[in-house]
Amino acid sequence: MCLAIPAKIVSIDNQRATVEVGGLTREASVVLLPDAGLGDYVLMHAGFAISLVDEDEALETIRLFEQLAGGSFLGEGPSETGLDGLSPGGTGLDGLSPAE
Amino acid sequence: MPLSFLDDFRRGDHVRALMNRLEKSAAALERPVRIMEVCGTHTMAISRHGIRQALPPNLKLISGPGCPVCVTANSDIDTFIEMALLPGVIATTFGDMLRVPGTRMGLAEARGRGARVQIVYSTLDALRLARENPESKIIFFGIGFETTAPTIAAAIAEASSSGLDNFLVLSAHKTVPRALTALCSTPELAVDAFLCPGHVTAMIGPHAYDAVVADYGLPCVIAGFEPADILQSLIMLCGQLAVGRAEVALQYTRGVRPDGNPTAMALLHQVFSPCDAEWRGLGVIPGSGLAIRDEFAAHDAARHFQVDAGYSHEPRGCLCGAILTGLKTPGECGLFGKACTPDHPVGPCMVSSEGTCAAYYLYETNDVL
Amino acid sequence: MFLFLRLEITFMVSNSNNDRRILLAHGSGGRMTQELIEEVFGTAFANPFLDRMDDAASLDLTGRIAFTIDSHVVSPIFFPGGDIGRLSLTGTVNDLAMMGARPLYISAGFIIEEGLPFQDLQTIVSSMQQAAAEADVEVVAGDTKVVERGAADGIFITTSGVGSIPAGIQISASGARPGDAVIVSGTIGDHGAAIISRRGGMDFNVELTSDCAPLGGLVADMLAASSEIHALRDPTRGGVAATLNEIAAASGVDIEIGEDLIPFQGEVRAACELLGLDPLFLANEGKLVAFVAQADAARVLDAMRRHPLGADACIVGSVAAAERDHCRVFARTVLGSRRILSMPSGEQLPRIC
Repeated sequence: MCLAIPAKIVSIDNQRATVEVGGLTREASVVLLPDAGLGDYVLMHAGFAISLVDEDEALETIRLFEQLAGGSFLGEGPSETGLDGLSPGGTGLDGLSPAE
Repeated sequence: MPLSFLDDFRRGDHVRALMNRLEKSAAALERPVRIMEVCGTHTMAISRHGIRQALPPNLKLISGPGCPVCVTANSDIDTFIEMALLPGVIATTFGDMLRVPGTRMGLAEARGRGARVQIVYSTLDALRLARENPESKIIFFGIGFETTAPTIAAAIAEASSSGLDNFLVLSAHKTVPRALTALCSTPELAVDAFLCPGHVTAMIGPHAYDAVVADYGLPCVIAGFEPADILQSLIMLCGQLAVGRAEVALQYTRGVRPDGNPTAMALLHQVFSPCDAEWRGLGVIPGSGLAIRDEFAAHDAARHFQVDAGYSHEPRGCLCGAILTGLKTPGECGLFGKACTPDHPVGPCMVSSEGTCAAYYLYETNDVL
Repeated sequence: MFLFLRLEITFMVSNSNNDRRILLAHGSGGRMTQELIEEVFGTAFANPFLDRMDDAASLDLTGRIAFTIDSHVVSPIFFPGGDIGRLSLTGTVNDLAMMGARPLYISAGFIIEEGLPFQDLQTIVSSMQQAAAEADVEVVAGDTKVVERGAADGIFITTSGVGSIPAGIQISASGARPGDAVIVSGTIGDHGAAIISRRGGMDFNVELTSDCAPLGGLVADMLAASSEIHALRDPTRGGVAATLNEIAAASGVDIEIGEDLIPFQGEVRAACELLGLDPLFLANEGKLVAFVAQADAARVLDAMRRHPLGADACIVGSVAAAERDHCRVFARTVLGSRRILSMPSGEQLPRIC
């Protein structure tokens, strides 16, 4: 429903930023994301930065994939891996992050 | 140059390992399950990466109503076309909208008949047009869900504060949680779980789906848009289904904050208020639209032009509503492949090139679904 | 007469400002037309055939002839990596080359909107001549019309061309056979991305450059390396996806490509991600897709890579017998599953979902 891709803020002046994607740069508005700063990765949608990309979370997810691809998961049960995101406590958003 | 935070989520070794794991997770299910991918961008990604074809046989993905252009009603398109045909008007909208049919014609055809229709990438481009053409009225066709609506709200707020009176918006925006609960309340709904849209959720926050879980007991996983994201999300859904649990879980941790984007939502609510909205193929869903508030009436094209396309009616005989809820298949629709084809689409499932009907038509039943 | 006089005066005034514009009178067939032809076209394209200023060029041709035509209406008319002049020349040269023909002679028709800066026309014609020199062809006939403002978008150029097909060459869109290797000559989508990024509101700070180039030389090198080149096509409008579908239908075969085998420039990929476009649907103006017998594929690839316009050539897929009564193109995805690669529908536009 909505295409948005990660872009890096390479300059910022008030509500206008220049963002970089794969060597291309473009103007973007950060009016919807006032906390965004130089060097941050943001999700770009229709010329606006709409969300910060959490680099730590991204790397954590990638690490999880690498472990899986490398076959280093010992347990066969899904909940032992963290991959299925099932929260041990059982309810709601406490278990939001599969990396936790 | 690698694309940061995209390439790692498309790597062949990652997605193949995830698919292996998904096969194991699906094997633990007691019965076949149907998972609805709500979002049109998910539908596109699933198709582009060949995910549907590679799924274990007891897992079925069905496409939901989450393509904003596809669910735009004829009446809204007709109104916009009538406005675009007025003298001194430059009609602007996103490229996605050009193919979507109205009662008599779509925007591409209206352009052929003299309407000034300009495709923009962003409302910022439409604002620039308004500044550069003070003698013209620039009407932006506001379509999209909560991801896009705040960007239109930002443009309206900017036009209002800078006195850019020739910038107007025809709002046909729609909101996701209302549509989801409306879907869930369909008695015959044949869906076991939802793959929820990551970018809408980046705005509205994960708690927006609490009602789906609490009231209907359907698992929800908020997913990113790369193949590894989608596969991991399906593993997470299988995990919930296997143990009979239903909760809102977040796969797209890098893109979604626990409270969404409060700044964007505040701006959305400052400019828009909820209203009833007509969805192509689904009918009117109460409270699922966004109307421009009185304070910004000067930028509301609906109030300014008072255009009434009296001839508007929704396509007759179209079963998209039942197809979107998984109750019918395209082959059961009398229009399918006859009055309704990818080049002359009638309902939303054919309008979107990756919609259920278009996929059936292009890829044939046996290959895909 | 009065009208003529007025235009003449405008012309003189504009001239003194070094801001000369093309006027309706330049297409009237009168003295100003003559001046335009001599000053712009005659100078740029000077060659023995054109210099005679006959009603038609008189050419010596023997053997089998390839003959084609192509109209160009690109907007914007100037873009990074080329302009409508270069494009109009290479478009026709490449169509001839895709038949295995050696491109020889070109004719060109110019429809100019009044008001086009004289300097723009000169630039366009001069880059056309530059491309003709690269392609080793001559522009031997031409025509110019000027239309009222609004009746054209700056300038439209139609070119037609002839080339000679060497004996024994039998290349056709219907020639692809099961077992053939599918080769692309370089990175995909460069021209389309350059054009779309140049349209209103899409400006990127880094320029994407069109690949616009004449391919006659590359094809000659390929033909020298193998006599088992079955089909060639330049993937212009509709991109590689359209070309593969056209060849599959014409040849009665299925085609499968590997998505990870397709070469893309990083910036083109980034632009496609940003704008929601599929590079396989974007136009190319200096690339070709070749269908070559598997046994000769390595040799042809080697010959291509030694040519500057084929340096990034690679094998991207293969041809198979049609599985059904209609022909299909498949893309093998990163998951190892295959999806149908369909013809693009309508124009490629930036999308948000």
